Amino acid sequence: MNKNFIISGSGGQGVISIGGILANIFMLNDFFVSFCSCYGAEMRGGAVNCEINMSDEELFCIENEQVDYVVALNQTSFDKFISRVRENGTIIVNSSLAKINKARDDIKYIFAPLTEMAGKLGNIKMTNSVALGVLASLLGNFNTDNVKKAYENVLKNKNELIKKNIDAYLLGYNYIQEG
Amino acid sequence: MSKELIKGNIAIAKAALKAGLKAYFGYPITPQTDIGEYLSYEMPARNLAYVCAESEIGAINMALGAATSGEKVMVSSSSCAVSLMQEALSYACSDELPFVLVNVMRAGPGQGYIYPSQGDYNQAVTGGGNGDYKIVVLSPSTLPEACDLVQRAFYISQKYRTPTMLLVDGLLGQMAEPVEITESKYPETDNSRWVLDGAKQRPAREIHSLEPSQYKLNQHIVSLFKKYKEIEENETDWEEYMTDDAEFLITSFGSMARYTKSVVKELRQNGVKIGLFRPKTLFPFPSKRLGELSLRMKHIIDIEMNMGQMLKDVRLSVLNNSVISFIGKPVGDWLKKEEMIGAINNIIKESYASI
Repeated sequence: MNKNFIISGSGGQGVISIGGILANIFMLNDFFVSFCSCYGAEMRGGAVNCEINMSDEELFCIENEQVDYVVALNQTSFDKFISRVRENGTIIVNSSLAKINKARDDIKYIFAPLTEMAGKLGNIKMTNSVALGVLASLLGNFNTDNVKKAYENVLKNKNELIKKNIDAYLLGYNYIQEG
Repeated sequence: MSKELIKGNIAIAKAALKAGLKAYFGYPITPQTDIGEYLSYEMPARNLAYVCAESEIGAINMALGAATSGEKVMVSSSSCAVSLMQEALSYACSDELPFVLVNVMRAGPGQGYIYPSQGDYNQAVTGGGNGDYKIVVLSPSTLPEACDLVQRAFYISQKYRTPTMLLVDGLLGQMAEPVEITESKYPETDNSRWVLDGAKQRPAREIHSLEPSQYKLNQHIVSLFKKYKEIEENETDWEEYMTDDAEFLITSFGSMARYTKSVVKELRQNGVKIGLFRPKTLFPFPSKRLGELSLRMKHIIDIEMNMGQMLKDVRLSVLNNSVISFIGKPVGDWLKKEEMIGAINNIIKESYASI
């Protein structure tokens, strides 16, 4: 098995954080994984994206032109990365910040109001974790302990923050599971 | 010890600490600043020497001074700033002072930009300082290997009393993958016979490169080259991937070589007998082995993220009239698998046409 992902958004949306958490989840599930991040000129508000590759074999190519999954947290990244989705691949779009538009008919779309969902939990900053939950639900069933451990690896000792983000992750996860 | 997902720069810094790093000197420059940043917290907390110098020239000359203690010393920098260090590298070779220089390459020439590149192969291997000298250059392809090679760099530099460079692609410095930082597996060396630690109850020692006696200077340089020969015999290292029955051979180094493995794998699935030869030591270059392999190759394809720098060493190693082609580009995104396969298929087609 070999899957690759692009997570994209603007600086401050936590793109790199959930990319790191996803990569940690794969690592804790004993996959080979690579994680590359790319920042725009400015941190907050600039374009940010990262690419994650996972495989059950040693990884050779760690950057790919076409990927299986793209997560786009805003309009700019939706416009920019839709062309990078592999045929039959999936794009997850934050419909709170991007218009619903199915410009390609050879890929799958998931439009979810991620920012609104995070807002209902009390903090729109957790949009990223809702997105990660949505993505994770498409990938199968990850051991919850590993998800928690992955959050701890990235967010270190911020226990309160970890708990809130895992709630947001589960909200995203169940959004897909419950249809 | 379990695996952790960390950036290449941090992994290198952690592995250096595990190897017994005692003193670090540096000056910030992208894409290697994380190394100094991480060590600026970790080293003072452990009572180790950390200096953010006033310039790269200051940093490397501080390293020269610290290296006279025989302790493990490291400097990290990048491309255009490593240019500033060339004079000190020449002095360090003559003075036989051991330290590790980590060079996380960015795009040049001149100031260039922070895009990844492999454009400093020549600078690393042939050097920019004056006089007859060599720098040992180690080239990692993955992060676990970078951790191993930085520890090996300390070992080689101390064992042979010579500055050793870890030449890292910007891509490796910035990417993350799981690594396990372990203790160094390389033995410690006894430096007591040459270090400057105070001349109490023993004759004074001197370390300098100035030598007015023609005879002695000649002797000194010849002895350095005896040492380089010894390094070549003992430390030359490389990796071969699917070369056993290969008729076509890719040569590549660093993280680009890692990408070319996917090319080998895919072309093999299409029945092309192709393999990869990757030097892990750029100096000493594994010429002997590449020469042996070249005897049964129809074609050798050198792939680099520069305009063809290792290409010269490949040409010098090949022992027959093998045709050698080059695929590369100077800076930016690494060549994609599809681009390389397209170019190689064309080369192979022409190669068969000419038989």
